[in-house]
Amino acid sequence: MLFNSLPYLFFLPLVFIVYWFVNNKSLKLQNIFLLVASYFFYACWDWRFLFLLVFSTGLDYLTGLQMFNAKSQSNKKFWFWLSIIVNLGFLGVFKYYNFFLHSFEDLLSGIGIQSNFYALQIILPVGISFYTFHGLSYVIDIYNDRIKPEKNIVDYSLFVSFFPLLVAGPIERATHLLPQIKKKRSFDYNKAMDGFYQILWGLFKKIVIADSCAVYANDIFDNYESMNSASLILGAVYFSFQIYGDFSGYSDIALGTSKLLGIDLLRNFNFPYFSRDIAEFWRRWHISLSSWFRDYLYIPLGGSKGGMKSKVRNTFIIFLVSGFWHGANWTFLIWGLLNAIYFLPLLLTNKNRDNIEIVAKGKWLPTFKEFASILLTFSLTTLAWIFFRSKTVEQAFIYIKNIFSFNFEGGIQYLSIDRYSVELVVLLLVFLVFEWLSREKEHPFFGKAKDFWAFLVILMIIVFGVYSDASEFIYFQF
Amino acid sequence: MPKIACFFVLTLFSMLLLDMAYTKVYKTSNPRTKIQYLRTLKDKKVDYIFIGSSRVQSGIVPSVIEKKLNKKVLNFGFQAARLNDIYAVLQLISYYDIRYEKIFIQVDYIYNFNANSPIFQFETMPFIHENSIYSNHIKFNPSNDFKYDCIPFYRYCRNDLKLGIREICLNLSNKKTNAMSNEGYSPLEGTSVNHNFPLPEKINEYNNSLDNIQKFCRKNKINVIFYCAPFCKHTSNLDFIAKLKNKIPGLLDFSTVVTDESMFQNANHLNDKGARYFTEFFVEEVLTNK
Repeated sequence: MLFNSLPYLFFLPLVFIVYWFVNNKSLKLQNIFLLVASYFFYACWDWRFLFLLVFSTGLDYLTGLQMFNAKSQSNKKFWFWLSIIVNLGFLGVFKYYNFFLHSFEDLLSGIGIQSNFYALQIILPVGISFYTFHGLSYVIDIYNDRIKPEKNIVDYSLFVSFFPLLVAGPIERATHLLPQIKKKRSFDYNKAMDGFYQILWGLFKKIVIADSCAVYANDIFDNYESMNSASLILGAVYFSFQIYGDFSGYSDIALGTSKLLGIDLLRNFNFPYFSRDIAEFWRRWHISLSSWFRDYLYIPLGGSKGGMKSKVRNTFIIFLVSGFWHGANWTFLIWGLLNAIYFLPLLLTNKNRDNIEIVAKGKWLPTFKEFASILLTFSLTTLAWIFFRSKTVEQAFIYIKNIFSFNFEGGIQYLSIDRYSVELVVLLLVFLVFEWLSREKEHPFFGKAKDFWAFLVILMIIVFGVYSDASEFIYFQF
Repeated sequence: MPKIACFFVLTLFSMLLLDMAYTKVYKTSNPRTKIQYLRTLKDKKVDYIFIGSSRVQSGIVPSVIEKKLNKKVLNFGFQAARLNDIYAVLQLISYYDIRYEKIFIQVDYIYNFNANSPIFQFETMPFIHENSIYSNHIKFNPSNDFKYDCIPFYRYCRNDLKLGIREICLNLSNKKTNAMSNEGYSPLEGTSVNHNFPLPEKINEYNNSLDNIQKFCRKNKINVIFYCAPFCKHTSNLDFIAKLKNKIPGLLDFSTVVTDESMFQNANHLNDKGARYFTEFFVEEVLTNK
């Protein structure tokens, strides 16, 4: 069940009504109901993988308790590693087995040995990377005595499986979400309205921006060999907006849905395309994953301690792992590597924390320097997205090579989708204006005219939305 | 949550208004599609009408016939059209009282299909509330469920890339298409060599739409001639056409009349040169001698 589908349009109001108006007397009932709704939501994709989710939840719940009750450090360590190995084992089998297999086959064939190992014919369970990371953070926190294990199986299961975040995050922390699950929630009209507005903005980003961009970007990337430089640049820019609209739109719908149910989730995006450098970009893009890697990988590796050499090493490690987390393909690894390279000058000059506040705070316009920095950061990010979007590394390199051939012959190209490659630009500019004006908030619906803007956005969703070619959220595949 | 309910009602109301506005534009603007054009022919006279799939659209050149016989000819070939689409066009011709001398229907392997052309469907979608011909045609496809009937603007949302805001703007700005610029003929360029196109090995027992067409023609005394357009010489299972002749008595079989490969754009579509050659052949064989 997609957030942007008709079934969800019926599912969400039904859950909302039963949750607030039928089950509102008891926290226990509320949580049981939310858990059942979450499992139903997940089973709509493929009910068989529900068993995997339940097993993973049960494993982390039990190992958490065992670690807490362990009489010796070695016993605690045993349960800790059991959870880590099983969790990462599932991820490895479902997500990475075939990649390693084919890479090994390629390596052998490179030295003249032909091999044909058994490849798995399986589909990736939706959301596995997200709920695995949920569970890992919980187990690691217990192991490090940062939190106590949750004894209530329903509450813990809801922490892992809460449907707004189940399939594509944000990756929550036990310290943030579990206390909210354990506290009686009462209906807050303002919070619910805020959630409604955020869902609206998320739908706009997904249905209007991301899916429109997808139509153009797909056509350009699929026919990149016959495209001139202008169309290739547009294709890369469209993909940048597609992935932003898609994922941040998803996150907005998730956060908004959660607010409707009285629960606050971690913010996942904070206007990343207004970043002035790549470090700021990564503080504003997929925040829950970046902070996860910071807390559970970068810091345990030594973080910033141990001098510049270890700082650089650790930075490269987290970017490469982050790339690999996104998918089992060399393209993602190179995407991670590129971002690490972008980050390096800031790290070496100790300027990676220069831009903490949102750009031009309290002002209408940025300075010329800020504008130039934003443009440069966006260009670098867009260049890296080419690897993220391409099917192979070779395709990405040819795509970039063709951009830099500066071939503008034929002008604005006509695409096989019966449109000119440049047609979408005005809509994106309107979107950027909306985003710029609301960059100090979570969505553009504030002030006295918020309902007028909300209605305008509804009209835009109806008129400009892409419904015939509606696609799944990109991050569902991760 | 009265405010959310208010937004919901406003949204539904807007969808209703938008649906009405879009439909009005498609009904009243200058034709950009063949169906829009067909609607403008109400009470008019045409001599010959050709109906079928892309093999008609790119295979019959009305100007050749007009030049030779001084007859008004229209090519109502639609990409990927199936027999149910042809049936709809036939009914619409009758519904709009378009007068004609003869109708030619191209039939080939489409006999084995029991579906609508999604491309043709885009053209009829704006008019589904106008009469039962359009609505029955859409309902023929089982995936087109009640939502098209019950949810205002749903049809334009679901088909946004073809019928959405962009197409509305093009209609409003009177931007022309080449749909009817050659009386419906759409020439193909290029040639193919050694293209193998396999026709189906087996023929279906029955095609309900063809039966409907034949009944409709008998009932309305429509002078219709069925024919099969040329395939290139590498086409396999050509005996399918012989089986088809058993299903459609009187079918004119032209499947093998064009032997020169340079006249095909691909295995089953003539290029411009081939279309002109075949149309002349058709004039000689069907329109002049018979």
